[in-house]
Amino acid sequence: MKKSLLDYILRNRLPLTVFVIISSFTLTYFVSRPERDGVGYTPVQPINYSHKLHAGDMKIDCQYCHTNVDKSRFAGVPAVATCMNCHTVARKDRPEIIKLTQYYRDGVPLPWKRIHKVPDYAYFNHSVHVNKGIDCTACHGEVTQMEKVGQMNSFTMGSCLNCHRNAHDKFPELKDQINKGPEYCSACHR
Amino acid sequence: MSDYREENKQHNNNPDPNYWRSFEELYRNEKTLEARHHEFADGVTDDFDPNENLSAISRRKFLALLGASAALAGVACSDYRDKGEIVPYNVKPEEIILGIPNYYASTCTACANSCGILIKTREGRPIKIDGNPEHPVNQGKICAKGQANILNLYDPERIQQPLKKTSTGFDTIEWNKSDKDIIAALSMAGSKEIAILTHTITSPTTVKVLDDFKVKFPSAKIYSYELFNSSNRNSAWLKCYGSGSFPLIKWNEAKVIVSLDSDFLGVEGNTVENKRLFAEGRDVNKKSFSRLYVVESAMTLTGINADYRMRLKPENQFAFVMSLMNELNKKGVISTSLSSEYNLESFVQKFNLDKEKVNHLVNDLASNKGKSIVYAGDLLPENVHIAVNILNDLLGNKTLYRNDSSEVNLINLSSLNELKELTDKISNGQVAAVIHLDCNPVYHFPNDLNYKNLLSKVPTVVTLTERMNETAQFSNYVLPINHNFESWGDAKTRTGLISLQQPVIAPLHNTRQKEAILLTWISTNPETYSETLYHDYLKNNWETNIYPTLKSKIDFKQLWFGALHDGFVLTNDSTSSVGSVNLAALNASISNVESNGMTLILRESYQVGDGRFANNGWLQELPHPVSKITWDNYAALSHNTAKSLNLENDDLVEVSVDGRKLTLPVFIQAGNADDTITIELGYGREFSGIVASGVGFNANSLLSSKPGLSNWIYTNASITKAGGKYPLASSQEHHAFDNPRIQDLHIKRHIIQEGTVALYEKKPDFIQEHRPKELESVYTPFQYNEMKWGMAIDLNKCLGCGDCVVACNVENNVPVVGKDQVLKSREMQWLRIDRYYSGSPDDPRVSVQPMLCQHCDQAPCENVCPVVATTHSPDGLNQMVYNRCVGTRYCSNNCPYKVRRFNFFNFRDHFRDGYQESSILTLMFNPEVTVRSRGVMEKCTFCVQRIEEARSEATRRGTPIKGTDVKTACQEACPTNAIQFGDINSKDSEFYKYRTHELGYYVLEELNVRPNVTYIAKLRNIHTEEL
Repeated sequence: MKKSLLDYILRNRLPLTVFVIISSFTLTYFVSRPERDGVGYTPVQPINYSHKLHAGDMKIDCQYCHTNVDKSRFAGVPAVATCMNCHTVARKDRPEIIKLTQYYRDGVPLPWKRIHKVPDYAYFNHSVHVNKGIDCTACHGEVTQMEKVGQMNSFTMGSCLNCHRNAHDKFPELKDQINKGPEYCSACHR
Repeated sequence: MSDYREENKQHNNNPDPNYWRSFEELYRNEKTLEARHHEFADGVTDDFDPNENLSAISRRKFLALLGASAALAGVACSDYRDKGEIVPYNVKPEEIILGIPNYYASTCTACANSCGILIKTREGRPIKIDGNPEHPVNQGKICAKGQANILNLYDPERIQQPLKKTSTGFDTIEWNKSDKDIIAALSMAGSKEIAILTHTITSPTTVKVLDDFKVKFPSAKIYSYELFNSSNRNSAWLKCYGSGSFPLIKWNEAKVIVSLDSDFLGVEGNTVENKRLFAEGRDVNKKSFSRLYVVESAMTLTGINADYRMRLKPENQFAFVMSLMNELNKKGVISTSLSSEYNLESFVQKFNLDKEKVNHLVNDLASNKGKSIVYAGDLLPENVHIAVNILNDLLGNKTLYRNDSSEVNLINLSSLNELKELTDKISNGQVAAVIHLDCNPVYHFPNDLNYKNLLSKVPTVVTLTERMNETAQFSNYVLPINHNFESWGDAKTRTGLISLQQPVIAPLHNTRQKEAILLTWISTNPETYSETLYHDYLKNNWETNIYPTLKSKIDFKQLWFGALHDGFVLTNDSTSSVGSVNLAALNASISNVESNGMTLILRESYQVGDGRFANNGWLQELPHPVSKITWDNYAALSHNTAKSLNLENDDLVEVSVDGRKLTLPVFIQAGNADDTITIELGYGREFSGIVASGVGFNANSLLSSKPGLSNWIYTNASITKAGGKYPLASSQEHHAFDNPRIQDLHIKRHIIQEGTVALYEKKPDFIQEHRPKELESVYTPFQYNEMKWGMAIDLNKCLGCGDCVVACNVENNVPVVGKDQVLKSREMQWLRIDRYYSGSPDDPRVSVQPMLCQHCDQAPCENVCPVVATTHSPDGLNQMVYNRCVGTRYCSNNCPYKVRRFNFFNFRDHFRDGYQESSILTLMFNPEVTVRSRGVMEKCTFCVQRIEEARSEATRRGTPIKGTDVKTACQEACPTNAIQFGDINSKDSEFYKYRTHELGYYVLEELNVRPNVTYIAKLRNIHTEEL
């Protein structure tokens, strides 16, 4: 091998290759980050339910359906019977409502696609956050504007800690009511 | 081996006893000492051979896995963001809030005591059992069996369909068909007997069902039996007082308790109540202490809590009571004309009792007339009970008999003679059908009744049971019944109250309530059965028969729902009063058994009862409170007897009595009486599923229908070496944390600190002298300004029963690891009860100490974790983060208390080839606690899930969290309230008193790890200041 070739490889080829690999990795890492965290995930639901219509236009309170959100770890997806509170009379002729009624009549639960998920070993508690005055939109985005609900924010531990550490910056309006969120492990992992 | 006496002598100048936990340790067995220098026992850290240790992967399993991973890959490629589904209710039950538990009051049917329980359910699944705090008898506490009962509900081996015997085995059958067959058989019985065998029946409504059954089928006869019972105690009572049954005792008011071979804290009577009352009488805060004398043959749970303990063979108990009576008579304490042939002095000499202890006993009985109680054990023969009744009467101790409540017997137990009559009738062909009502006579009856073989002579044998057992194996029909938590019922065991039992889950399998099965047969129409059949019957019986007697001002419906909510109703039936004693009862019964041979004593198992709980892994793995052995029974011999027979631990021996023989291993139990063999029953089950079958040895084969000294005690037994060894899995030598290599340090370490009541009265802070001064630390201590969790364990109240261990297992999803793993010191219990002996192996003093994560402020485990998986929280908890742990085990190595547990396997997969992986058992898990997998470390968390729940509850309320908001599982379960938990920084709390108690100390305080579990030193109520 000629000395100049080796020189060329070491001086130009190698750094260039390394640069390309690192930059493409970094680029892909950051560009695909939201994708990997599930941000933007908007699955097709068994019933074409519109949060924009119900929560936005008709201003039905979130807690009318998600009743447990201030009581329990889980916000609770409403039972079919909750929908039927209105839909035994309202819009009975629409195809989606006919579908819904069929579920109710058959006694079959509705298999909604899950959009937001924290891992099994993290014990997120809705009630603590809601009772402290944190708005649903802080994590779930402007659901009232969503025809079809999708994931708006990352649900990683980093995202949790981002708020927990900077609670007062994130929620200046709650400055007097909330402390910094806990950062110790067993607050979420047990 | 050096002589232990020499070693002990060296330390005689030191007031501290030289604690030892096993004979190996006492004799400085080199192997044992060597083993204790190592963190893990031999083999624990060995590489494992997958073929041996894991269920080997078969071709079929491999293909299945291959298929599964291909399918998984397919799913993963289709949409990697798919997060599954959320499936809400179609119609949500009103009382259920997702994530919030519901509690239902019910009654435990694990034994005949019928304690009130509170069942915690999550989304309709029962996940934890606690005592019902409002129940007057057990007052919020429940024993280990009651708590572990939840595992029986989800047992994958429950029978799920009715079975009918065929020539090749069992076939499933429809309920309608089996009912039809059985009804036909019962109707054809005519004058031939229909025998119904059952354990104790505590339910008045079940009694009514049986009465109805007898009306419909007049030839029916009920036989009720218990392997262990208090028939001797009760028949003696009848002879002495003419009526009633033995009264309940005010243990809390007794100043002197003399227990003769009685294990009232362990297995006799309602132990939950006994333990509570006994501990109430020994309260260091009230500075009131009873004195417990125990004269017994085997080392029992009661014995290890004695202030004075003497060893005596059971056949000499009668002479002992009589001598005691004569001595008291001689001293003029009591006056009686009863036989004077017994002389205490010569008795003491003959049986080599400690003269000083006996003198103390006599003096204490003399000076505490009316405040002392002599209590004989269930196993002892009637004459001892008669003598004890009379002695109590003469001493005026009737004042300690409770008059607020007494025991109620709904159906008298059948005597051995009645059972013999039954077997005679069967062999004469006079029995048309036998119905086993949730009982197992083939296993329980003495072999010489030949019950197993006789069953083939009965045309129809029906067994109603939850799971297969020895009796079901020989039955024509095996009908699966509902578990405790799937059943309706009521129970009356005491005057003054009736408990109610309600189901908290629909039957998991195609099972039926046993009373409903009987009611269907009574109706003679299989179509009568409905899910609500017994519920309606029960309600109806209450409305017509029980409600009127309550003289309640509210209407029945309100009362019924109120009673269901509370779990019991108070009734106003009167308690029979104690009459005057019939002294003649004693004269008629005087007999003296002289024996020089070995005496065989058959006792109830602490863990599995009479065998009913043998299928329960949690109970099998609960260490025996005294010997710390799991998964086995054994022949317990005294140290001297073993020596004279040249036997060592684990040696197989043949025990024989009157030609009945059994081969089992030996365990040398410190403190047992010489020339006695003690064996616990309840083991050696067959046909009973993978947990129970083949565990231990069936010592029921040593029972006889011709009683020896009593049904459970046989003199003139013999024992011979059978050759070979059988390893007993004991948690004894494990997790040693006092290092004998540095003997002087061991003495100075004060892991157990004790004193006497006399010393405490004179010098209340004597413990503090031993405590090290404030030690400097290289770290700046963290300032706990808000909350800091801590625990205090009162060793005066801790009896060492182990109820807390099971509570912890259930709450924290602790797996069962199996005997092979316990042998390798891989048990997973987060909480263990350390038991230390001190003194001589003949007459040791015993100390117990619950040991759990101490949540040290300067935890040594935290410094060494390379991945920061264990850290400290600002409220003082030592946290363990499973998803960070990579399994280096450095933390366990560095833990001075040896309380960390490592998942060497996915134990749920490993135990008997994945028994616990069964999908039905996953229903049992506490959803608030991570189910740990292989390769991670775990340990006590101070029930952090309860703390966090209390925090969120406080946020909901809008008030700050208080120390009293949280109760740990062990604290909730402790029958004597020995465990306290709370906020160390809350200076006005009850807990703070324990935290700063003058008897409080920390274990291994000099290491300066600053633990947060305070131990309150045990005081012994003996007649001197010195121990």
